[in-house]
Amino acid sequence: MTFSLGQLAFLVLGYLIVLFMTAYSVERDWIPRRWVRHPVVYVLSLGVYASAWAFYGSVGLASQYGYGFLAYYLGISGAFVMSPILLRPILHITRVYQLSSLADLLAFRYRSRWAGITASLFMLAVVIPMLTLQITAIGDTLYLLNNEWPVENLALAYCIGMIVFAILFGARHVSPREKHEGLVFAIAFESLVKLVAILVLCGVVLFGIFPEVGGLESWLIENQEQLARQQVRLQDGPWRTLLLVFFAAAVAMPHMFHMAFTENTNPNALRQASWGFPLFLLIMSFSVPPILWAGYYLDVDTDPSYFAIGIGLHTESAFLTLLVFMGGLAAASGIIIVTTLSTAAMFLNHLVLPVYKPAPRYNFYRWLLWMRRSLIAVILLMAYGFYRIVGADLDLSQLGILGFVACSQFLPGVLGLLYWPQSNRKGFLIGIILGTVTWVYSLLLPFCELALGWEVPFYLPQTDESNWHLAAIAAITINFLMFVIISLITKQTPEEEAAADACSIDTVSRPSRQPLIANNSNEIISSLSAPLGRYVAEREVYQALTDIELPSYEERPFALRRLRTRLEANLSGLMGPTVAHDLVTRYLPYQENVELTDDLYQIEERLEGHHSRLSGLASELDNLRRYHRQTLERLPMGVCSLAPDGEVLMWNMVMSDLTTTAPRDVTGSHITRLPAPWGPMLSEFLNSRAMHQHKHRVDTGGRPRWFGLHKAVMEPSGGQPGGTVILMEDQTDNQLLEEELIHNERLASIGRLAAGVAHEIGNPITGIDCLAQGIRYETDNPELLEMADQIQEQTKRVTRIVQSLMNFSHAGHHTAEHEPVDVTYCIDEAMQLLRLSKHSQDINFVNDCPKELYTQGDAQRLVQVFVNLLGNARDASEPGSSIWVQGEEDEQQIRIKVIDDGHGIPPETLDHIFDPFFTTKEVGKGTGLGLSLVYSIIEEHYGHIVFDSPLASGRGTCVTVSLPRGIDAEITYGNN
Amino acid sequence: MYDYRLSLLMLVGIFLISPVMMDWWLDDRAAWYRPFGIWAFLIALYIWFNSKQRDNDDV
Repeated sequence: MTFSLGQLAFLVLGYLIVLFMTAYSVERDWIPRRWVRHPVVYVLSLGVYASAWAFYGSVGLASQYGYGFLAYYLGISGAFVMSPILLRPILHITRVYQLSSLADLLAFRYRSRWAGITASLFMLAVVIPMLTLQITAIGDTLYLLNNEWPVENLALAYCIGMIVFAILFGARHVSPREKHEGLVFAIAFESLVKLVAILVLCGVVLFGIFPEVGGLESWLIENQEQLARQQVRLQDGPWRTLLLVFFAAAVAMPHMFHMAFTENTNPNALRQASWGFPLFLLIMSFSVPPILWAGYYLDVDTDPSYFAIGIGLHTESAFLTLLVFMGGLAAASGIIIVTTLSTAAMFLNHLVLPVYKPAPRYNFYRWLLWMRRSLIAVILLMAYGFYRIVGADLDLSQLGILGFVACSQFLPGVLGLLYWPQSNRKGFLIGIILGTVTWVYSLLLPFCELALGWEVPFYLPQTDESNWHLAAIAAITINFLMFVIISLITKQTPEEEAAADACSIDTVSRPSRQPLIANNSNEIISSLSAPLGRYVAEREVYQALTDIELPSYEERPFALRRLRTRLEANLSGLMGPTVAHDLVTRYLPYQENVELTDDLYQIEERLEGHHSRLSGLASELDNLRRYHRQTLERLPMGVCSLAPDGEVLMWNMVMSDLTTTAPRDVTGSHITRLPAPWGPMLSEFLNSRAMHQHKHRVDTGGRPRWFGLHKAVMEPSGGQPGGTVILMEDQTDNQLLEEELIHNERLASIGRLAAGVAHEIGNPITGIDCLAQGIRYETDNPELLEMADQIQEQTKRVTRIVQSLMNFSHAGHHTAEHEPVDVTYCIDEAMQLLRLSKHSQDINFVNDCPKELYTQGDAQRLVQVFVNLLGNARDASEPGSSIWVQGEEDEQQIRIKVIDDGHGIPPETLDHIFDPFFTTKEVGKGTGLGLSLVYSIIEEHYGHIVFDSPLASGRGTCVTVSLPRGIDAEITYGNN
Repeated sequence: MYDYRLSLLMLVGIFLISPVMMDWWLDDRAAWYRPFGIWAFLIALYIWFNSKQRDNDDV
């Protein structure tokens, strides 16, 4: 059974278009985001690991090594089971520092351009055999289905198709930093296709090809040699080597790194993947033995590697054949797309950008995009070239062994970056170079010699499929030993040390507070415009500020340091860590000759991030740190911690309340840059010699406030240069209370003076009054009588003033006993008294109080209160207007409101109405003691008085007098 | 901190004794699918163990 070229082209193109539409529909948000980010999608996308080698090659491997083929699945499953200590830390580092490939990770950790270049070049040795394997598998299967065209042409057509689709999938966006959710979903879809294809084939084998249910077991019993072949004891060496190289594939294979870390949109999905991915591999591998035995049972005339497709051809089932072909196509195209994308980014970052960058006038993003596309094409054409020269003569298992053993050379470097902070770039470089040389000499060249009959002018070890594991172990061991030995005898650079801290899983990096030369974010944009161009520099700086949730303009030293770190990470995602680091170091330099101290705020932030991962003593210490932190935060005093250079390191909650300035707006700022009046006040105090300052007056919001300031200088210790802690307490209430006490004391003095003056003046005045009276009786002279009347009138006036002074002076210490009083009656009496005055003739007094409104007090003094209040109301009212008195009561107190419709009291006057001798009346008409007296009497009765003026109408005044509610049982005043 | 040293030691141990384990898997009298059954059991055990741990995914 064969298929026409047109049919196959239609099938391949149709499948790739469906795949593209799947990715496109995700990008257009036609598929719900929660589906796209579901852990199942992540697990299936990791299924890119099951390439054509898993789909076809595993059967061949099983025919050769029996159950040894399981190493391919179990090795990487082991890596995923260990994900909390292996994959999760790598995911964390790649996300924080925007590292998109293994070469990025190694260049970042070992702070070496050569580490990136070596890793990228060596990655070529991994990628080319792997891509060649896929091309070989698809070329061979296409040839099995259609033997009209030469297999090389079929493979070339497939390669060209894959170049187009790889560009469409992963190199359509301007910024390669973005996650390709469409790609992830499409790869997950591919995994589903191959899973369905292999399960259907397995089902057909188990229930269709063998004559009955359980037929496979019966056949195996009859053909014990087949079972024995499958159960052949794999030698320890190859088995362990296979486990090791497939374990390494989880982090070292570019397609696995890309899907597991670079394209990860949901970090928590890794937890599900730690068992979900091994489960996926279990299902894939379960089908391998039945397919192998079915191939033998049917006597399929293909290589065991292609039994899967051979079964369909043998049984003349077009559906099964094409389904399996689709599965193989999905397996191969997935790895090709992801590998080329990942490798192109790696080459761009480590081989192209360090050598050449476009001039700033070009659109950098567009240049990156086209360079990436070109590299995708170059890598795939190189793989096709390798296929034409070597690949076609090597079988799938040989290609796979070459690729996977090569990738295991990265294992020492990766384990070192996670678990050995002392490892260094020299150890890594020498280790991987010698390991690679060993790999070439003991594995690649012997395989080529074996397959192609090459002859080399020097001795080559006789490596073949029976002893390849020795060559592999030799290469890894030499790499590992050199890595350890060189790292032990050489030293790290300070930069490398910092990167090691950032990568190691049991250390927290200690960033320093080195200030930048640039003073604000605009200067950073200007500096970066030189290499990147204005447009790219602005975009990157604003993006970085958004990422770290800072405003678009920043000048705080702390914020600028964070911005620099973020910029380096973002640029690393764009052009690799080496170029990004060089660029940031050159264009955003730190100030020199500055004492370096730890950035405590950032260290704390990172400790918070690691909090849930801590255990044992570290966890206890962290809990202690949090307790002390909380103590300072909740301290009922403002606490502000300053670095020696005046940078604010801590700003607690009370400080935030006192200054209405949030910690995130202040932390990291220099003390002098704080908003007024706090900045000047604190910096002045910081620079003064005084350790304490009491009642420092500050005017905020138009009102004075008083603060007490205390400071403590911290001595340098534990590598820290010390600093200053400032405590700030609000003393405004105390200050106001003191002022009130002084005021009261002054009033008391006035009262005592008034009493003395009144007493001294009273007697002579009485004498004058008597003498004037005498004159009236002694003469009939009208002029003298008139004069005597005037003298008497003036003496009455003086007497009135003296009486007021006497009353006022006695108000504070009135000793009359309080008795139940009917307040309504008091108000009536006050009204009666006022009506006697000629000034009150035109005023209508209305008493709306309930009939019985009782309090405890002195009735005469309460009458005095209402006479004063009603008198003031009368004086403020127009002739003919009314004054109302309303009353109400509750369980605790009674309230009397005196309401007039007069001109009201101006706001500036309201603050002084109770001051003695303060009056707005004309000279001679008021003493300024009336309301002072009222206030004193009300206080004496344990009540309070409130003025509300002007009222809502814009005129009038309402005076509310509140008094304790009295008992009405024994009314002594007002019950008649 | 992670008890990663212990975990790594365990991994190396499993790596070294894995051929012995494979011998047991491939016992002549066993069904051909026994390795897959054991594998599935280990995954189930891992899921159960994983569900007991506190959720501290703060990558």
